[in-house]
Amino acid sequence: MAKEPSALEVERNVGNFAYPETHKHDAGIGLTEKTIHYISDIKEDPDWVREFRLNAYKTFMSKPMPTHWASKDLEAIVFDNIRYYLSGGTQPKRSWEDVPDDVKRTFERLGIPEQERKFLAGVEAQFDSEAVYSNIKKAVGEQGVIFVGSREGLKDHPEIFRKWFGKVIPTGDNKFSALNSAVFSGGSFIYVPPGVKVKHPLQAYFRINAENFGQFERTLIICDEGSELTYMEGCTAPKFNTATLHSAVVELVALKGAKLQYITVQNWSSNVFNLVTKRGLAHEDAEVKWIDCNIGSRLTMKYPGVIMKGRRARGEVLSIALAGDGQHQDTGAKMVHAADETTSNIISKSISIGEGRATYRGLVQIPKHLKNCKNNTECDALLINSTSRTDTYPAITVRGTGNSVQHEASVSQVSAEQIFYMQQRGLTEAQAMSLSVNGFVNDLVRQFPMEYSVELKRLIELEMEGSVG
Amino acid sequence: MFLAPQMNQLSIQNLHVSIAEQEIIRGLSLAVPKGEVHAIMGPNGSGKSTLAKVLAGHPDYKVVSGKIEMDGENIMELEPDERSRKGLFLAFQYPSEIPGVTIANFLRAAVQARLPEGDELEATEYYAKLYEKMDLLEMDRSFTSRSVNEGFSGGEKKRNEILQLAMLQPKYAVLDETDSGLDIDALKVVAHGVNSMRGPDIGILVITHYQRLLEYIVPDHVHVMVQGRIVRSGGKGLALELEEKGYESYETAAEEVGEPAVA
Amino acid sequence: MTNQIAVLDETMEETESPPASHAILSSPFEPRSADLPAWFRDQQKTAWTKFDAAPYPNRKDQAWRFSNVSALEFSNYNFGTRLNQAERAEILDRSLGLDEVAGRLIFADDQLLRRDPLSQKLLAAGVILKPLERAIIEHEDLFRRHFMAQAATLGSAKFAALHEAFVMSGTFVYVPKGVEVELPIEIFHWLHAENASVFPHTLLIADELAKVTVIEHFRSAHSDRAGFACGVNDLVVGRGAKLNYVCTQDWNEKALAIQINSTSVERDASALSLNVHLGGAYSRFEGLSRLRGEGARSDMLAVCVADNAQEFDARTLQDHLSPRTTSDLLYKNALNDRARCTFGGLIRVEPHAHFTDAYQTVRNLLLSDDSEANSMPGLEILADNVKCSHGATSGQISEDEMFYLLSRGIPVPVAKQLLVSGFLNEVVDRLDHSAITQLVHEMIEAKFQRRR
Repeated sequence: MAKEPSALEVERNVGNFAYPETHKHDAGIGLTEKTIHYISDIKEDPDWVREFRLNAYKTFMSKPMPTHWASKDLEAIVFDNIRYYLSGGTQPKRSWEDVPDDVKRTFERLGIPEQERKFLAGVEAQFDSEAVYSNIKKAVGEQGVIFVGSREGLKDHPEIFRKWFGKVIPTGDNKFSALNSAVFSGGSFIYVPPGVKVKHPLQAYFRINAENFGQFERTLIICDEGSELTYMEGCTAPKFNTATLHSAVVELVALKGAKLQYITVQNWSSNVFNLVTKRGLAHEDAEVKWIDCNIGSRLTMKYPGVIMKGRRARGEVLSIALAGDGQHQDTGAKMVHAADETTSNIISKSISIGEGRATYRGLVQIPKHLKNCKNNTECDALLINSTSRTDTYPAITVRGTGNSVQHEASVSQVSAEQIFYMQQRGLTEAQAMSLSVNGFVNDLVRQFPMEYSVELKRLIELEMEGSVG
Repeated sequence: MFLAPQMNQLSIQNLHVSIAEQEIIRGLSLAVPKGEVHAIMGPNGSGKSTLAKVLAGHPDYKVVSGKIEMDGENIMELEPDERSRKGLFLAFQYPSEIPGVTIANFLRAAVQARLPEGDELEATEYYAKLYEKMDLLEMDRSFTSRSVNEGFSGGEKKRNEILQLAMLQPKYAVLDETDSGLDIDALKVVAHGVNSMRGPDIGILVITHYQRLLEYIVPDHVHVMVQGRIVRSGGKGLALELEEKGYESYETAAEEVGEPAVA
Repeated sequence: MTNQIAVLDETMEETESPPASHAILSSPFEPRSADLPAWFRDQQKTAWTKFDAAPYPNRKDQAWRFSNVSALEFSNYNFGTRLNQAERAEILDRSLGLDEVAGRLIFADDQLLRRDPLSQKLLAAGVILKPLERAIIEHEDLFRRHFMAQAATLGSAKFAALHEAFVMSGTFVYVPKGVEVELPIEIFHWLHAENASVFPHTLLIADELAKVTVIEHFRSAHSDRAGFACGVNDLVVGRGAKLNYVCTQDWNEKALAIQINSTSVERDASALSLNVHLGGAYSRFEGLSRLRGEGARSDMLAVCVADNAQEFDARTLQDHLSPRTTSDLLYKNALNDRARCTFGGLIRVEPHAHFTDAYQTVRNLLLSDDSEANSMPGLEILADNVKCSHGATSGQISEDEMFYLLSRGIPVPVAKQLLVSGFLNEVVDRLDHSAITQLVHEMIEAKFQRRR
């Protein structure tokens, strides 16, 4: 069978490397008001952004860790040991030739073939905190699509940027959204004009390359009326000795009739705290869809959400979490229905292996007086080996006679007999496991774009190889 | 080329097997040469299905002593998948369900596992062969897109087992109670599939409680297994004799036999 | 031992010293009854200190999420005063439950009004049914071993402490090994005086292979008097034993109620509970079922009919501690007007509790635009080879079903009521006891009638 071209055909097993770091700007470790000013100075922030950061810093400091409901493991994060800003000082580049050689080497090591890079509609990669290159297909620009780093976005397009920035996810939403709001750097800003349908997915790739460095990218995407966009992000980090923090904020806005799909395939190394806030706002007849695949990390806490603000808006979260030894995938979805005839769908599949732990947390809200709102939630968990753990904690609120919700969850496991049966047909234990796991996620993966389903299967295979024997 | 007889047979020598401290197979010897069909018949609890699983290397069973050789090679230390790739096939009495994994994908993975490393399965050839075998077993094409054994009727499960047998072309096949759960029409189809596989390159061991299956898959040799041993061996006529007389006379005999009968 | 019990268990109208009426939270703390043994009164003092020290619940606690915690205000409540003869007679007349029972206790404002003893046969078999305050003295060992042995972990530790501090009566049931009590044991607790508070307690022990059914009724003597009930039940189901426990909670709509039940199910035993929630302004129910022995089974059933501004708040835990245990929870709520229901339930499968089957289903039927249902079904699976699932749905009466009934000439309110009854009956009918299911159906019916 011909291999599907894949955007993220990455050699994960060779991902554990780090290049010598030559960073021109380094905010040092720890977080104080001075750090904020340092970042603002270097980034030449407008005053309103500096103000925004400082306020966010205060909010961050005043908010307690959410350990009353979340994992106590959060307490292992030492905020004073983290670097909040690093930069090579390079400006975003537009052409491949301009990309610094060592960065190119990174991409080669990641196994992205050259022709695939060309095939891509646009690639913006975040190497540490700066977007070091953006290779935007001409056509996208010609359609009037703005695809830039968040820094350029707030400087060059303030009229659009300011209108939505921090509006979908307020600074004080949670401790980590506040942290991001204080120190954000990097991330994408995308604006798709009315009626424009972007054919190829736009892509970004994030990688944490410096030890003790937190990655705080900030992405804002606005799809104007009737437009369509698919955005993909991938994340990796090489293995360091100490814990690393990734805390991003992603805000999506789909105006009337727009369709916005955001895809993440994340494979952090197992010492990364991945604490991400993602939320979309869907206006009338608009659709926001999150596809979220979480593999790796020490602790991931991520609950993509959609606020359905206009009539007939739709929200969807499809997620797959794979928790290997020593990993905790604490993921879920939030669906807030705020208009009539809004519909939402959540499908979550988790796999716990060895001592891995998978948790689903969900929130579905259909407040009073809304009519004909519907939510469907399915969460299925698969357990492999006896020390793994899975938890499910949805919270569903429904009012009124016009709405309906449905929530179902199940837990099952790969049985020894099943594995023996497959082994009897000549498959190794790892192959048998991986086949079972892929079978478990299959019906969901089928709804993903082709290149992502191929990528995900490969990742699952890799993960299973490491977990058997 | 001349091969010593043990180089061309599945042989079991003085096998003792226990599970949870209880001995289930108590000194069993048997040889199934290529080109022959052997049947093991025995009452419930005689250890027939245990034998099938032990041959395939099921981890729950402990081989206390004895030998299992395939073409002269000791396979006792091999993992179940290694035994399979070396050419041993077990048609399960109760095949497992594998949700989400289609028959086509499952079989492709199994066939691919037999290719040398780096070789990629030729998709068109594979499908051509798959469809040919399915036609033989009167299976609808849509079958391939169903999850392995999930929601299958008894007959469908057994047909699926024989389909895999046909696709993987093993050197030795053990059919464990393949007739259970089959009505007469399905039984004929399954038997037809097995018979079409018969030939000089395969040795088949049919394990069954009833003589019925052996009317359709006619064995060359029949062995009677009682309380973990082969107590009598004979030609195909033995099956009919058992059908008439039952196993009772052997059950007492088994207690008395010190040394197991050798096939 | 049986002789002694026979003597104690003659029919009698209790005439113990009346409790004083004073606000329950007034300090310094005084044990309510001087008749209780000193060690128990000491225990009550400790409990009071615990209650006093523990903070009031906060909605930010997961255990109190969606709860109207502001309802938890106790300063107005008192202990009521001794009921006079006329009041007692009236309440006894209205204590109508099952026609045939094995034994019956009737309490009002924590005063035992009447006791219908067990048959000689059951007494001879060693079955014990007596007021809790006597069991504390006469069966101290059993009492100490099982009384509130299980900590209240579902949010109400503070109120469990309050209960312990003030409990002065209740029911003690012991069914010896191999004894089957065919007819149900029936218990009534009434709220009577204005702002009265009660602290009902039922301690039940079904020994190995025993079988028993208990039904409790919580009722208010007056529809317009506020009251507070804070009850705790300890239900212990020994090896291979079988317990059916039913509670019909029908306090008036001014009452504030907290009920904390814990059931422990030993090897091969089975427990079935059916809680019928009809009354109360704010009613919180915490149900813990611990499946302690291999092969244990627990069925947790509840129906709730909520209207006006009623709030029902149920928290449950199906705790699987041993392999091959089964639990099955089915809760159904029908909500009208501005009523709110919250369900927070967890299935917890402890490590090594392999081959567990655990199910949890919550269905909310929203009958009005202002009704609200919050569902938080939960799973915590720490073992392998388990079959667990939960489902939660919230919806309304199907238009097709409604249309079908209307097309047969049935008026809207009747059709609606039929469909709601049908919705709830699925739960009630899982109880294999026709007299009790009949009674429960009638109570649900009566609540619908009150609406008309």
